[in-house]
Amino acid sequence: MPNSAETIIRVVDLHKSYYDGEAELPVLQGINLEIYMSELLAIVGASGVGKSTLLHLIGTLDRPTTGSVLYDEHDIFTLPDTELARFRNKEIGFVFQFHHLLPEFTALENVAMGALITTSNDKTVYKEAEALLDYVGLSERLSHFPSQLSGGERQRVAIARSLINKPKIVLADEPTGNLDRRSSEAVLELLWDLNSKSGQTFVIVTHNQELTQQVDRVVQLVDGNISSG
Amino acid sequence: MRFEWFVASRYLRSRRKQSFISIISIISIGGVALGVATVILAIAVLNGVEHGLKDRFLANEAHVVFRLHGHSFFSDYQKRIEQIEAIDEVIATSPVVLSQTAVFPEHSDAIQDVIYIKGIDPVQENKVTGFSEFVDGSTDLLNSTFLEDARLIRDETITGGIVLGARLAARLGVIKGDVLRFIVKLARHPVNESMLLPDLANFVVIGFYESEMAVYDNNFGFIHIDAAQKLYNKPNRVNAIFVRLIDAELAPQVARKIEDAVQFSVLEGMPDARTWMEMQAPLFSALRMEKILTVVIEALIILVAAFNIASTLIMTVMEKTKAIGTLRTLGTSRGNIMKIFMIQGSVIGLLGTMLGTALGLALCWLLSFNNVRPSYWFTLALIVPVFLQVLIALRRALPRHGGWKFGLGVLWLIVIGFALYCAVRPISLADLGLSQVYQMNQLPIQINWFFVIFINALSFLICWLATLYPAWQAANLKPVEALQHE
Repeated sequence: MPNSAETIIRVVDLHKSYYDGEAELPVLQGINLEIYMSELLAIVGASGVGKSTLLHLIGTLDRPTTGSVLYDEHDIFTLPDTELARFRNKEIGFVFQFHHLLPEFTALENVAMGALITTSNDKTVYKEAEALLDYVGLSERLSHFPSQLSGGERQRVAIARSLINKPKIVLADEPTGNLDRRSSEAVLELLWDLNSKSGQTFVIVTHNQELTQQVDRVVQLVDGNISSG
Repeated sequence: MRFEWFVASRYLRSRRKQSFISIISIISIGGVALGVATVILAIAVLNGVEHGLKDRFLANEAHVVFRLHGHSFFSDYQKRIEQIEAIDEVIATSPVVLSQTAVFPEHSDAIQDVIYIKGIDPVQENKVTGFSEFVDGSTDLLNSTFLEDARLIRDETITGGIVLGARLAARLGVIKGDVLRFIVKLARHPVNESMLLPDLANFVVIGFYESEMAVYDNNFGFIHIDAAQKLYNKPNRVNAIFVRLIDAELAPQVARKIEDAVQFSVLEGMPDARTWMEMQAPLFSALRMEKILTVVIEALIILVAAFNIASTLIMTVMEKTKAIGTLRTLGTSRGNIMKIFMIQGSVIGLLGTMLGTALGLALCWLLSFNNVRPSYWFTLALIVPVFLQVLIALRRALPRHGGWKFGLGVLWLIVIGFALYCAVRPISLADLGLSQVYQMNQLPIQINWFFVIFINALSFLICWLATLYPAWQAANLKPVEALQHE
């Protein structure tokens, strides 16, 4: 990535350990990483190396043992829970390996959910959600429940959901890990298209070789550290 | 709150595999409803009993009884009466000679009972206690036809007529026209001074007193005040003045006024005006205690139901762990999550409370049919349409839901069973073992709306408190761990 690009996230000396009783289990050991505006970044590495943990920390779902994550040079973990939740709601979209759609809600409601948290204007939200589902090719499936959708369709709903609040960053954890080849391709196409159209930043944790060839930059995680970047 | 309501209401009606939890929600609602319904019914009955007793009691009891400490006789009672009647709140007074005596009927040669004798002026007594309303027979204690007949046939001295408590008369085995002998006092034998002879007086039974107050019907005889004074050789003296007031509730204040108004010398004794409340304090305080106990027990029932709600919610939280994780990634705060689960529990509590209130009031209404109990068919005709309505409403709310049928079946059986029980078996005071004491044969119902509102608030509060822990537990799930929960 060119140096002129604006840094949106700066990860500084990030450590994360898990504790199993007395035993300390270090997972991340001093990660330093810069993520630039509008780039497509892939994080790769062997399983269990801490890719997902890093993604969770960047996504503020977990707090680091030490170190900090700076968004626009602000240390995000100094915020109290409520504001952190609000930040997550507005600025970050998540896509997981498993779709994590809420089974009690229709596709449309699942997509709208993120915006419903803070808005009082349901109509606009549902209109936007409809547009997003249309964009991911599911305009016929608005009132279907997740159990009535195929795996690929669910993942596309999940992608639409991550976009409802127009976040600056979309974090994807193995987005195609659970899909067959055809569905994977459809999902990936969607991601590239989004990136080129909206200029959102994508951070993707993946095993998928094909995927790593199509991103702007790849960082490899080895033993809790970044080995190349 | 809109977002939280949206999620919580969907979870309450959720139609996927957690049918188990939905049944438990129904059971939780039922638990709260039963607690609320029984407390409303129980308190309505207790209030009714208290009110009925008070009414009955006040109908034939003076509001204030004025006596001297030691219950001694006093002279100049006309003057005292004037002083008492000068008080604004006093409507009427009745001078009374109160005493006890041993009695034996003429057909018996042994003492049968010791009874209370109330020597009254029927005209005055009527104004204070409505005496004649409760008498079956004559109230003319001095000149009844029974008296004239008795005086004609018998060679004994007839002192006067007596109106006997109805149950007392039944116990003694006397009828109208019979003679009842009193032992008034013992006199020394004129020759052998070591011997005592009873001084007897004969009274003719001229009527029965039936007030449905066990105290009077079982233990009292009423004679004329003049006869009583003669009996005890206390001419122109009485030992009590019975007072009626404009309003029975004013008794305590007026009693103090009477004590101040009526003057006695130190030698005569201290005036003592007792109110009906003081005289019946044990009864009414027992009733109040009963009410408090009822509320405590019912509160415990509601508490059990609340635990039910809490465990339902804890299970829901466990089942929804992954969803909670997802919601957190979408940017819901801990507060949002907490509210979602508190709303769920509160809705259960609210539904249960409302259902219970409706059920309780309906039962009160059913029981207020006095002794005319609604028939099976009437009850069924009442309940079946209501049940069908509920069924249809639930079917709409829970489409494609399997497990609820079982829960509703159970609910249906409970409702029908209880309705039939009510219809077939009238709840009477005899069942409760109270008819002997209070002599009320039907269950009086009085709904205290203030209390209904209070119990609603209490029930809802308990249920709301029960939601706190599960909601807090849900809010404190770590997003990452929740997401990975299987």
